[in-house]
Amino acid sequence: MKLDNLIILPVLLPLAGAILTFMLKGRLSRQKLVALVVLGLNLAWSLLLLAQVRSGEILAFSAGDWPVPFGIVFACDIFSALMLTVSAIVSLAVLLYAFHSIDIERGKFNFYAFFLLLVMGVNGAFLTGDIFNLYVFFEIMLISSYVLMSLGGEKAQLRETFKYMVINMLASALFLIGVALLYAVTGTLNMADLAVKIRTAADHGLLTVIAMIFMVVFGTKAAIFPLYFWLPQSYPATPPAVNAVLGGLLTKVGVYCLFRAFTLLFTFDPGYTHTILRFIAGATMAAGIIGAVGQFGMRSLLSYHIVSQIGYMIMGLGIFTPLGIAAGIYHLVHNMIVKTALFLTAGVTHDLTGTTDLHKLGGLLKVYPLLGWTFFFAGISLAGAPPMSGFFSKFALILAGLDAKHYLLVTVAVLISLLTLYSMMKIFRYAFWGQASREYPKVKYGPALCSAVALVAISLAMGLGADWMLELVMAAGEQMMDPDLYIRAVLLEV
Amino acid sequence: MMLLGIVLAPFVAALLVPLLRRVAGPRIGLLLTIIPAVLFTLLLTLLPQVNSGTTIGSAWEWVSSLGINLVLRLDSWSLLFALLVTGIGTLVLLYSHFYLGAKEDLTKYYLYILAFMGSMLGVVLAGNLIILYLFWEFTSFTSFLLIGFWSDRERSRYGAQKALLITVLGGFVMLAGFALIYLVTGSFDLAEILARRELILESPLLPYIMLLVLIGAFTKSAQVPFHIWLPNAMEAPTPISAFLHSATMVKAGLYLVGRLVPLFGGTAMWFGLVSGVGIATLVTGSLLAVKQDDLKALLAYSTISQLGLIMTLFGLGTPLAIAAAVFHLFNHAAFKGALFMVVGIIDHETGTRDINLLGGLAKQMPTTAAVTGIAAFAMAGLPPFSGFVSKELFYEATVHPEFSGWLAGLLPWLAVGASIFTFVYSMLLFFYVFFGSPRGQTPKSPHEAPALMLVGPVVLALLTIFTGLKPDFIGQSLINPAAAGILGSPVAEHYRLWHGVTTPLLMSLATIGAGTVLYLLIEPLRRLFKKVKSRVNPNRIYDWGLDLLTNGSAKLTDWYMTGFLRDYVVYIIGAFVVFVGGTYLLKVRAIDAWHFAPVNLFELLFALLFVVAVIVLILASSRVIGLIALGIVGFFIASFWVIFRAPDLALTQLIVETISLILFLLAFAHLPSYFKDLEARKKKFIDAVTATGFGVVTAGLALTAHGTRLYEPLSTYYIENSLKLGGGRNIVNVILVDFRGLDTLGEITVLSIAAMGVYALVKLRGRAR
Repeated sequence: MKLDNLIILPVLLPLAGAILTFMLKGRLSRQKLVALVVLGLNLAWSLLLLAQVRSGEILAFSAGDWPVPFGIVFACDIFSALMLTVSAIVSLAVLLYAFHSIDIERGKFNFYAFFLLLVMGVNGAFLTGDIFNLYVFFEIMLISSYVLMSLGGEKAQLRETFKYMVINMLASALFLIGVALLYAVTGTLNMADLAVKIRTAADHGLLTVIAMIFMVVFGTKAAIFPLYFWLPQSYPATPPAVNAVLGGLLTKVGVYCLFRAFTLLFTFDPGYTHTILRFIAGATMAAGIIGAVGQFGMRSLLSYHIVSQIGYMIMGLGIFTPLGIAAGIYHLVHNMIVKTALFLTAGVTHDLTGTTDLHKLGGLLKVYPLLGWTFFFAGISLAGAPPMSGFFSKFALILAGLDAKHYLLVTVAVLISLLTLYSMMKIFRYAFWGQASREYPKVKYGPALCSAVALVAISLAMGLGADWMLELVMAAGEQMMDPDLYIRAVLLEV
Repeated sequence: MMLLGIVLAPFVAALLVPLLRRVAGPRIGLLLTIIPAVLFTLLLTLLPQVNSGTTIGSAWEWVSSLGINLVLRLDSWSLLFALLVTGIGTLVLLYSHFYLGAKEDLTKYYLYILAFMGSMLGVVLAGNLIILYLFWEFTSFTSFLLIGFWSDRERSRYGAQKALLITVLGGFVMLAGFALIYLVTGSFDLAEILARRELILESPLLPYIMLLVLIGAFTKSAQVPFHIWLPNAMEAPTPISAFLHSATMVKAGLYLVGRLVPLFGGTAMWFGLVSGVGIATLVTGSLLAVKQDDLKALLAYSTISQLGLIMTLFGLGTPLAIAAAVFHLFNHAAFKGALFMVVGIIDHETGTRDINLLGGLAKQMPTTAAVTGIAAFAMAGLPPFSGFVSKELFYEATVHPEFSGWLAGLLPWLAVGASIFTFVYSMLLFFYVFFGSPRGQTPKSPHEAPALMLVGPVVLALLTIFTGLKPDFIGQSLINPAAAGILGSPVAEHYRLWHGVTTPLLMSLATIGAGTVLYLLIEPLRRLFKKVKSRVNPNRIYDWGLDLLTNGSAKLTDWYMTGFLRDYVVYIIGAFVVFVGGTYLLKVRAIDAWHFAPVNLFELLFALLFVVAVIVLILASSRVIGLIALGIVGFFIASFWVIFRAPDLALTQLIVETISLILFLLAFAHLPSYFKDLEARKKKFIDAVTATGFGVVTAGLALTAHGTRLYEPLSTYYIENSLKLGGGRNIVNVILVDFRGLDTLGEITVLSIAAMGVYALVKLRGRAR
């Protein structure tokens, strides 16, 4: 079977599912079923793609069969397939939680359709090989996220959505400026074609400037220093399920784009661009954690943590060796899983107690032991304790950093890990230890928590199976550090 | 396989605890005692084989691409530790059964303690540095959970967090050191690393590797200035203090240092760091112990001090010093374990550990008193108890160092000085608590502990006497082999209680003499010590640092996270100007202005009017004027489209402008008052700079890009083929629906989502939960 044409399925499946969901107006249980089936198939398909490409083959297809680079091209390498798979896991996990957490009203107003469309945008961004098409998928993803954030129309929701929207539109405008400039200079939009033309360009001055525009654009989406400020206040204002999917998926699409852009397109002057990336990596880690340790809201603390962890991923990109890229991807994958798990535990905490304010919580471990331990293991995984996945991704990063002699960056990374642990323990100390401030209801919360437990189990599996994971991300890293593979697959073999 | 079984057995048992709790009820502690007892016996049977120099090993591949494999090795140094862990573990579990009431959360307690036991066995059996690190962190986490066992007490939570932060900091730093070792030698396997020690010794990274790894060991073994976590860790239940925070976990650092002696031993930096920190810890601990009121705190500082003593010996690194270190480590585990257990008994039976309330307990608690006496005399270094033998060895090692310099010269003096205070607090522990008359009213009236609870301390006390009387038996069967395991070559020390009038004996006599004098002055001495308070000490730095971190970071964050959209826009535009504009200045050479299209008068006039409209917009004093100016700006853009022959874009622009204006007017009544007056001058200035910068950068970029067209654009293909292949004359249309139809599908999706979103926004307002 020729898979190439079918790599578009992760985009078409959610779209078809969303249309069906809209048509099932208000029949909630059927809408849920459609969403579940679609995301289940999405996961199965992503896994199949991953199995197909992990040997090194890059799948590519051109929409409408137009000759490359004139039409729109989709391409799937190991990195794409890995991201598809992990985001499929994350979205499925959040969906299962949403069944328990999203109220009927929101559900009837097509929550699940918007959720599927968000997944469509994310998947498209991972697959497209065309920079303008990437912009389009960003738009799909963003507009879905605006709707998901504002759905319900609560005051705080609307206030934060408005800010979130304006900032993202500004970033989108900058994105367009970048695309326009890139097109002016190179005359093309196809990323493989761009890669060739950028590399062979006579003058790289302006291209370095354009690289910086994309750094700012993708950096805003990815919430890197100094462009992360929109995130920490907007995420906690949303319903917990939306919070979880935004926290687990959305910023990571920005990170994916940074990785793509700075391994495929802008690799002509790593002494300049990647040094800036390394500086940003350290600053992002520090800024995020400084924000986090001062917080007393579980969700806002976790939101600052998103920022801090993004720094680690960018660290891998900035190191710019196969091991560095591999470690960055490992951390990206690990973090999507664990961060979602953390947001889900915060969500369940919110559903059970009505708050995530650490001052108001306490003694939850006694009442809800499973919740407490799920949080504990997710927390130490985030902090990088063995044998959870976070240890291996961070350790690979440290190894890559030391190998490339970036001692200062490694020092920062190690110290920030400690503060990560501190802030996780802060939540544990205040919310799960201590004395209960009031009687908590003894209700069954297992079903709502099951996806968080599953994600923690995956994190553990990715740690115990670190050899397998490392092999995979190393293959991805080596593939990305040799852009010719991607270029050849797209330009010659479609 | 057997080694893996030994490590895993406690973990498996830990997982079974919830089940066993249901079966065994409150007797679960007694039941679980079997596990360490069996392991202890099993390990004991291995003793002859291992002592003959055989290393039992097994290995499984794990993350072999990074050199991380599950390698377990049992040599005589590991075996000594494994015996300590299981042996004292047995006694502690037995003791715990009586210490903890049935109301306590026994499931959690035994689960944690068994998990700790497995982790600790993992640390000492690991043959791969990363496996060692893994179990090392496990011990930190289980210790955290055990210190916080009574988590509703604020002091427990504080102590748990402090211990965790400091030991994990050390762990992370140590891991970085391990990573450097890997980069230098290409292996995490301890045996391979030792075989390639030359690579490390010749590496320029040597000082960093040594320092990083040692920080790990120092934090774990509570060496100055990282010792501050140990006293706060005393919030744990007392059996835990006896087990983790005196006999085993805190010795993990010593274990590692011992392991590294063949790697780094003999270098001057090693001696300076290890012995220097060790002796500083010995002195600090013994001085601070004297002034404590809480018996457990006294024991905590005493532990710190004794750990420092052993550390000093490892720094010296001679065969004698290593043997002395091992011997004292063994002795300390026995007498300190006993002391913690008796303090637990005192606490249990009297309801207090405050030394100022206790006194004359010997009458009611004779066995406890006897045990305390034996253990305290051993700790003080009095004959014929075990401590005397190892202390003499310590003295001997300090007077014959291999090194010269001020530190080596000072060692014997500091050793004696610190030992004097060790003597004093040991006497304090025994005489002060058990003799004289009660100093205050204890919460419970004291009586002797149940016999089985006394088993643990009595066994350890007997061991202390036996070791004192038959030092050479213990020496030949445990100490020498373990020292040989460390050094990798046979050690043939002989141990005697009495070996004539030597310098060490004179040092012991001086210690006892001066100690006795000082003990007679104990009250004024303690008053004096309590008066000395340093303003700068590690505890204050820790508290101050955490406070700064939490409050300072909150303040900093609140400062820039204003919540105002306009500030955020300034940040994003500012970042754009700095990164993009800065790169432009650095990287772009010149603008090719010659290829610009000619500008006619008409266009120039439009551009000028456009600028005027923008200036009016900026200076507008009311929203209406601003709105009109904004509209004019929009219409000028549309007219530019007309001039440049893009009527479809012009139409779109006009529609957008019109609709925006209508929407604005509809919402006008609901908008807040004009923000103009609210702005501060400084903010206005920043806004102006950012906006101007953005304009300049984008304009410059557009002009430069116009002059840097390096390749033929795609559009050439579209122009040629839109009719031929796409079947349409309108190129834009063909691009939209055919060449790049997928983009259009995406944009249609965006519009649909927006429509459905707006619908939900209007209909669902405030109806959701």
